[in-house]
Amino acid sequence: MENTSKAMIEARNVNVYYDDNHAIKNVDLDISSGTVTALIGPSGCGKSTFLRCINRMNDSIPSCRITGSITLDGQDIYDKAIDVVQLRARVGMVFQKPNPFPKSIYDNVAYGPRIHGFARNSAELDEIVFTSLQKSGLWNEVKDRLDTSGTALSGGQQQRLCIARTIAVNPEVILMDEPCSALDPIATAIIEELIEELRNRFAIVIVTHSMQQAARVSQKTAFFHLGEILEFGDTSEIFTNPKVEKTKDYITGRYG
Amino acid sequence: MTDKDLASKSPWTTEAMQKRLKKRYRKEAIFKAVGLSGLLIGLCALAILVISIFTTGLSGFKETRLTIDVYMDPAIIKAAPDLDEDARTAHMTRVNHRALIRNSLRLAFPDVKGRRDIMTLQRLTSNGARDEVRQALIDDPTIIGQTIPMNLRASSTVDMYIKGQISRDVEQSARKISDKQLGWLDKLSAEGRIVKGFNWAFFSSGDSREPELAGILGAAVGSLLTLLVTLVIAFPIGVATAIYLEEFAPRNKWTDMIEININNLAAVPSIIFGLLGLAIFLNVFNMPRSAPLVGGLTLALMTLPTIIITSRAAIRAVPPSIREAAIGMGASRVQTQLHHVLPLSLPGILTGTIIGMAQALGETAPLLMIGMVAFIVDVPEGILDAATALPVQIFLWADSAERGFMEKTSAAIIVLLFFLVLMNGLAIWMRHKFEKRW
Repeated sequence: MENTSKAMIEARNVNVYYDDNHAIKNVDLDISSGTVTALIGPSGCGKSTFLRCINRMNDSIPSCRITGSITLDGQDIYDKAIDVVQLRARVGMVFQKPNPFPKSIYDNVAYGPRIHGFARNSAELDEIVFTSLQKSGLWNEVKDRLDTSGTALSGGQQQRLCIARTIAVNPEVILMDEPCSALDPIATAIIEELIEELRNRFAIVIVTHSMQQAARVSQKTAFFHLGEILEFGDTSEIFTNPKVEKTKDYITGRYG
Repeated sequence: MTDKDLASKSPWTTEAMQKRLKKRYRKEAIFKAVGLSGLLIGLCALAILVISIFTTGLSGFKETRLTIDVYMDPAIIKAAPDLDEDARTAHMTRVNHRALIRNSLRLAFPDVKGRRDIMTLQRLTSNGARDEVRQALIDDPTIIGQTIPMNLRASSTVDMYIKGQISRDVEQSARKISDKQLGWLDKLSAEGRIVKGFNWAFFSSGDSREPELAGILGAAVGSLLTLLVTLVIAFPIGVATAIYLEEFAPRNKWTDMIEININNLAAVPSIIFGLLGLAIFLNVFNMPRSAPLVGGLTLALMTLPTIIITSRAAIRAVPPSIREAAIGMGASRVQTQLHHVLPLSLPGILTGTIIGMAQALGETAPLLMIGMVAFIVDVPEGILDAATALPVQIFLWADSAERGFMEKTSAAIIVLLFFLVLMNGLAIWMRHKFEKRW
């Protein structure tokens, strides 16, 4: 398997409209596994909209219309044969604001495996919960209180619980929509370390407003501006030697 | 202008500003006073209502009894000794209990002569006293031939007099109790034969034409059965409608129109729902008149808008982030609803439902239209039996001429208020118990 070289997700000529508002314009983007791809750009440039196209979260917005194609492992995710519920399990999502279910920590992580029938018995379910919490670096902090409510954790712990919940269903891609914007610097640093570890198993797409964060955690960066991708390439390249003037202005803080 | 001039002319220290400040304080004080006085007026009205109901109503829970030595005269009872239990019960029911009581009263007041006076004497006791003698004979047939001191229920007039509702200072012709009766009562009172006690019968019997025998149980059971039907119909339909409208229905002019209509329905006068029930359930479907089934269905129509509106509000109050989290995990829409939205909105839904039920419990007008206003003595045993409901019972008693029904009306109101407070308390308790924070 040519793991890192082949793109897992290929977006081709993607356009998104909210009624008459043309939010995403002709976006082409390849996302590879084993890579963290950062989407950066000023507010309202369409980064989050594009992110939410990848697991079809925009389906629930009636006014939203999408053209072009996005493929996951060569399969068009907007094809009628694709089950959108299954797609969202394969392409997990971590939201801006930590949103654990108001259930116990255990039930939060076990929820996905339960509804998708991943565990045949409670021992297997325990195992999934254990590994997911361990991968998200939360196990040592919560192992003695798995039955307390997930909402009782601190903000950073809640966000890691959400990540644990997402990886419990064994996704191929994890989408992160500004996962640290509601967190303090220490919690942010922990999440960033976690992203670095998770990169080996999942393709990660992260939307962020923080240049430093994009530079720290990602290997590829796409710069969005007014619904278009102005520049896409290796993160090191973009941050040291941007080819487009707008990109340069944005990452140096002169614009945005 | 120098810096010093500027400082002295600061807009915050001028006289005009001071005036404006004073004006603002005055306005705030007036605003507070208006709000407070509104609250006080409301509280006063409530206090007057509660006090007036309780001062007239509490005596409705008490009863007056006369201790009479009842001679179980074998000549009147004429019981054959070898009867089995069923036959004996049947026989005891046919005994002339009235004569037993009359003779016993004559023994207690030997100087009362003449048919009319004896009848007046007997009117001190209630018609219900006969049932008490009968029950004593059924319970223990060995008392035949003995003289048993019994606390017989006094008539409503006596009850009213003992409770001070009838004054003896009034002209005899202007009061329901005669001077002779007063004399007999004085004698009984002097011998300690007038007993006041708690009126258990009020809670264990149905309606009656005689105030001292009338009870609330029939109406309470009728209300309970009616509400049960209402709950079973309105709750599932209301919650399902709310979920569909809030989470699945597309937003277009049809759903807008439905929403407006639901809001309008909540404001439709209840008597119109009664007419609807009469026209549909009774005339078209030929359901039984006066039955809790029909009452429940009619009240369900009336309660549905309340349940739908409160349930929608509760569902809307569930943060969208929870829905996103569930959908983002690959939960289907139905799973998202059943696993997350519904459990989180349940406290609000239940609160709304209970408040809707409390509304239905106090509703009178629609029940009048479908015949639940009939005079019904028997306690209903099912949703198809003829029944009446608590508020209708209050309406019926308030309309009755006898003085004794006045305190019964207030007593029934107290019972109704008790149930209302109970239901609202339950709603608050449930909200606290099931509420989850996120």
